[in-house]
Amino acid sequence: MLAYIVRRLVFGALTIVGVSIVVFVVMRVLPGDPLVAIFGSEGFTKLTPEQRENYMTALGLSDPLWLQYWHWVVDIARGQFGHSFFRSESVADTILRRGPITAEIALLSVALSWVVGVPVAVLSALRPNSAVDNIARFFSILFLAIPGFWFGMLIVLASLFWFGYKSPMAGVSLFTDPWGNFQIIIGPAVVLGLGQAAYITRMARSSLLEVIREDFVRTARAKGLTGRLVITLHALPNALLPVITLSGILLGFVLAGSIPVERAFGTPGLGSSMFSAVSERDIFVMQNLVFLYAVVFVMLNIIVDVIIAWLDPRIHYQ
Amino acid sequence: MSISQTSELPALRRRSLPQRVAAALWYFARRSPMSAFWGVVALTIVIVAIAAPWIAPFEPLRSDFRHMTKAPDALHIFGTDQIGRDTLTRVIYGSRASLLVAFGAVLLGTTTGALWGLASGFFGGRFDLISQRVIEFLQAFPDLILAMAIAMALGAGTGTVIVAIAITRIPFGGRIIRAVVLSLKELAYVEAARGLGASNLRLMARHILPQCIAPYLILATTHLGVAIIIEASLGFLGVGIPPPMPTWGNMLADALNSGLVPPWWLVLFPGAAITLTVLAFNLLGDGIRDVLDPRLRGAL
Repeated sequence: MLAYIVRRLVFGALTIVGVSIVVFVVMRVLPGDPLVAIFGSEGFTKLTPEQRENYMTALGLSDPLWLQYWHWVVDIARGQFGHSFFRSESVADTILRRGPITAEIALLSVALSWVVGVPVAVLSALRPNSAVDNIARFFSILFLAIPGFWFGMLIVLASLFWFGYKSPMAGVSLFTDPWGNFQIIIGPAVVLGLGQAAYITRMARSSLLEVIREDFVRTARAKGLTGRLVITLHALPNALLPVITLSGILLGFVLAGSIPVERAFGTPGLGSSMFSAVSERDIFVMQNLVFLYAVVFVMLNIIVDVIIAWLDPRIHYQ
Repeated sequence: MSISQTSELPALRRRSLPQRVAAALWYFARRSPMSAFWGVVALTIVIVAIAAPWIAPFEPLRSDFRHMTKAPDALHIFGTDQIGRDTLTRVIYGSRASLLVAFGAVLLGTTTGALWGLASGFFGGRFDLISQRVIEFLQAFPDLILAMAIAMALGAGTGTVIVAIAITRIPFGGRIIRAVVLSLKELAYVEAARGLGASNLRLMARHILPQCIAPYLILATTHLGVAIIIEASLGFLGVGIPPPMPTWGNMLADALNSGLVPPWWLVLFPGAAITLTVLAFNLLGDGIRDVLDPRLRGAL
């Protein structure tokens, strides 16, 4: 087991190196002048060639690419994520201040997706093609098609119209003001949670339908266990293993999805910072945030893999 | 046309092409009537997108300053936006951007990925090893984040958005087609062709590629819906197709930027258009998958 964890970590580290190269290539090497990105095409044409030269040197963009890459890696290793062109707060401080809100949204949405998805899937799988099953399948197909940010905008509008309610805009910590914090995160968490629940329900339903047909379930029934115990003790734990894996993959859906969803709700989380970086064409901030998101995604997937290996003795640790 | 090639009805071969297509479609409709219905919805959306200039009641960019931010009425049945543009017209034109990007990106990305997977599965060895690592690196990013970064780095434009979304589709095509090729290349008929002296290129093109068409079609159709949602999200975040061209994502972003409380009709209709389109293409894709390859049910 320990060897397996070490192996996964080593592969994870390799992936992170690869990811850093992809991020660097996308943000620095792809065609597209960074000065155009920063100043806009109109502002760029107003710059004299010397000014362009100076800006490029000041930003370290005149160095050879490998040197730029090296500087970037060293900065990140030192925990220096640099500054935005437009804000006084350093990127590291932004991450520390806003990251927790997005993390809370992600956690709550995963919890919600399980709380909603698994019971619905059980009801669905116990009576395939019944009315309950059909309704559940209709909603899961529907929620796969609804863009989360639109759903979020509708929720914001509806709560304004009917209850005159608007969630607070300022970020507050879970520890100083739990109620205010809850009001901020609940909207995005519900939207992202239902989006994931659609996938979870689908997967859990088909997985449960498969497991129910297996011999050990028949044995459990034959020895006289009640239907409920067969499902909760024998079928469900086995059926949920692929759902855990899916839940890990869906974390990418949550991390990315929280960007437009936080924008729709006006949530002061990391997704909103990402949105600001994109709309301000702030390439350095963007570069670091994209890298951060990818690293978090890779690490979460390692954790999920280890959990699966720990839960499922059939997996060989190779 | 590809459907008729992969259908299991050899009797179709002797008839003319239109007859074969019609027969294949009829076969599909009987096998899965629900998907056929959504296929018709999807086709309608495609027709609306193509025929937008003739169907739309107004000009998408023309402002009517006497009717600004008007709720839906008899003249503007979906209302107007802050500068008096007709929402129905813009939703209709929005379908063009959405479908163009979705089809372009899926075609480009899935094809690139599929060909890459074909080569990497066929040749194996070091090329395969490196390809697998690169695909892993690409998959380490959540789709939308990678697409955002690429779209932003390349600068705004329709082509940019297509490329950005296409790149996020490459790993899927690469992985699945590679797996198909790996299982195929050990089969006896491939060995036989090799024994007869067929070159690598001929083996790939004549013996392996045809077997990849069904999984390719399934992949492409199931990814259309995702591509539409990513396109809308990019537009919403301001890195999609730049205004004034109306896209559903741009329209929702405009609505949000219009003030503290966006008018409901500016929010409801573009989003409903996205949902309906994605729903239609997803369900059509499910049907195509079930008919072409029932074994893949739930796998993709």
